[in-house]
Amino acid sequence: MLRYFLLSRAIRMLAVFFIIIILNFILPRAMPGNPASILANEYNLPPETVKILVSLWKLDRPLHEQFVAYIESLFTGQWGYSYKYYPRTVYELVMERLPWTLLLQGVTSITVPAFGMLMGILAGWRRGTKYDVAVTISAIIVYAIPYYWLALMFQYVFGYQLRIFPIAHALTPGASYSNFLEYVADVLWHLTLPVLVVTLTAYASYTLVTRNSMVDILEEDFMFVARAKGLPERTLMKHALRNALLPPLTMLAIRLGHIVGGAVITETVFSYPGVGYLIYESIMFKDYPVLNAAFFMLSITVIVANFAADLLYAVVDPRIRYVRRG
Amino acid sequence: MSSVNVYSWQYKLREFWSVFRRDRAAIVGLVILAVIVFIAVFADYIAPYNPFARVGRPYEPPSPKHLLGTNDIGQDIFSELIYGARASLFIGFVAAVTATTLGTLVGVSAGYYGRVVDEILMRITDIWLSIPSLLFSIFLAAVIIRTGRLPMYYSVILAIALTSWPPVARLTRSATLSLKERPYIEATLALGASSRRIIFRHILPNIAPIILVEIVVRTGNAMLTEATLSFLGLGDPTVKSWGTILNFAMVKNAPILGLWWWFLPPGLMIAVTVMSVMMVGRGLEIYFNPRLRRY
Repeated sequence: MLRYFLLSRAIRMLAVFFIIIILNFILPRAMPGNPASILANEYNLPPETVKILVSLWKLDRPLHEQFVAYIESLFTGQWGYSYKYYPRTVYELVMERLPWTLLLQGVTSITVPAFGMLMGILAGWRRGTKYDVAVTISAIIVYAIPYYWLALMFQYVFGYQLRIFPIAHALTPGASYSNFLEYVADVLWHLTLPVLVVTLTAYASYTLVTRNSMVDILEEDFMFVARAKGLPERTLMKHALRNALLPPLTMLAIRLGHIVGGAVITETVFSYPGVGYLIYESIMFKDYPVLNAAFFMLSITVIVANFAADLLYAVVDPRIRYVRRG
Repeated sequence: MSSVNVYSWQYKLREFWSVFRRDRAAIVGLVILAVIVFIAVFADYIAPYNPFARVGRPYEPPSPKHLLGTNDIGQDIFSELIYGARASLFIGFVAAVTATTLGTLVGVSAGYYGRVVDEILMRITDIWLSIPSLLFSIFLAAVIIRTGRLPMYYSVILAIALTSWPPVARLTRSATLSLKERPYIEATLALGASSRRIIFRHILPNIAPIILVEIVVRTGNAMLTEATLSFLGLGDPTVKSWGTILNFAMVKNAPILGLWWWFLPPGLMIAVTVMSVMMVGRGLEIYFNPRLRRY
């Protein structure tokens, strides 16, 4: 059964992967103008050069040949040239930015669920108290707050009023580091505000789900019996947690895309040099090859992370392996 | 004692109100929403200035003349905010209705026709759901804008609608499935009713509450997405939405210049409006699904 579950998820992942590849091929080609003519306009290239580019990029070939060439280039990293940073290649640009995005996303993919679940556990454990009400209401408020607005507020408070955190970039510009630790410290210092913003605006759904599942479990008969037996609070908490944390864990997979989306917008506000900021730049400068590639890379990371979360869930909850379609 | 016609819409409305008004959060949401809709509709009479006109010096702080100061080119921010209500509500609502229609179409077809149709439609829905939706809508909006064939705010609406229909499809599909098993539908079928009649006469009216709640909740979400797209510079520059104002505030470094009156109010408006829409949606959900009522 576990094998069946893994297989079905793997097939879905491949299908999504395939759809994104197709979309990435069709959509840009459905638009007026081709990369060669746009580049020619932008940099006043002579017609001979344009002709060479057109044949080099196989833009004069029939669509199916273009598709084969596209698939080939996709896996060999030949994604064309950036309009804005010409003659730099799209591949170079995206790969240069990817580590920063992975760092920010990696950290927030842990802090968001951790913070959200913690709040939810505490609220559920003390259900019906003022604390519970306060957590629930603030979670609903937070849901409606746009990330980037909180980011602007944080820039104002911490960067303009208090001046304790840097409000842009991933490293201090022009800084030289005497040792590796100093470098790490600088990275973390710049990471603080973006991580805080994403965590504080994305945690809410985890809190609500965890709280509700906690409340449900605490009302189960086995919890009642456990309490009647006189088990200590610690043991009760352990019993409750083992069951109550499953629903928020499933959400981990569903909401990863949300966290990534949040990181993308946050990067823009903080000029954090990741793929998200690259997306913003390419929108501003109509740098479509870069936009396509950035969308492609980020989608792939989300899909792979989703798959990993699914696997984790199958390991944690044996029941999922017996459900044929989830 | 006079008899009451329980099928009349007056009775239904009264019954709805008697339940709905007990939900304090929903009432608060409804009042706030009503105020914002009023502002949006009568923006021309409420706003002190034309939001596109340069009516003051750049970066003026709040004063009696300009309640929330002016932006980088001397436009009145208070007036921008009032017109922003119109753009944000309109785009959010139209996008939500489009997405819900699309989702219902897919969901009801899948649920009603079953078998191969269901299999194909739900596979597509699942795959569509797995593509990170915010990224996808950013990508779509950018690509559609490039065609230049539609006014820019249409591309925002399309981008939101095309990425937010899958949850609606899932919901309406399962509702249709459970309705289809009911004896009265089977009886109607045995009497020789056409599929079209069953869908329009029996299924759609019965899932109307679900559709209504979805439209409300989707509107809240769509307003957030609209603000995000506009914030990234994908909005329509000829339309003032709250997201667009925030975009300009960011580009012009308002936070570091300490111009709080520029970026604080639009974000607050987005948050308050989305929250009120969500509270109304929640109230409707509780009304239509009595199991959610806890007294």
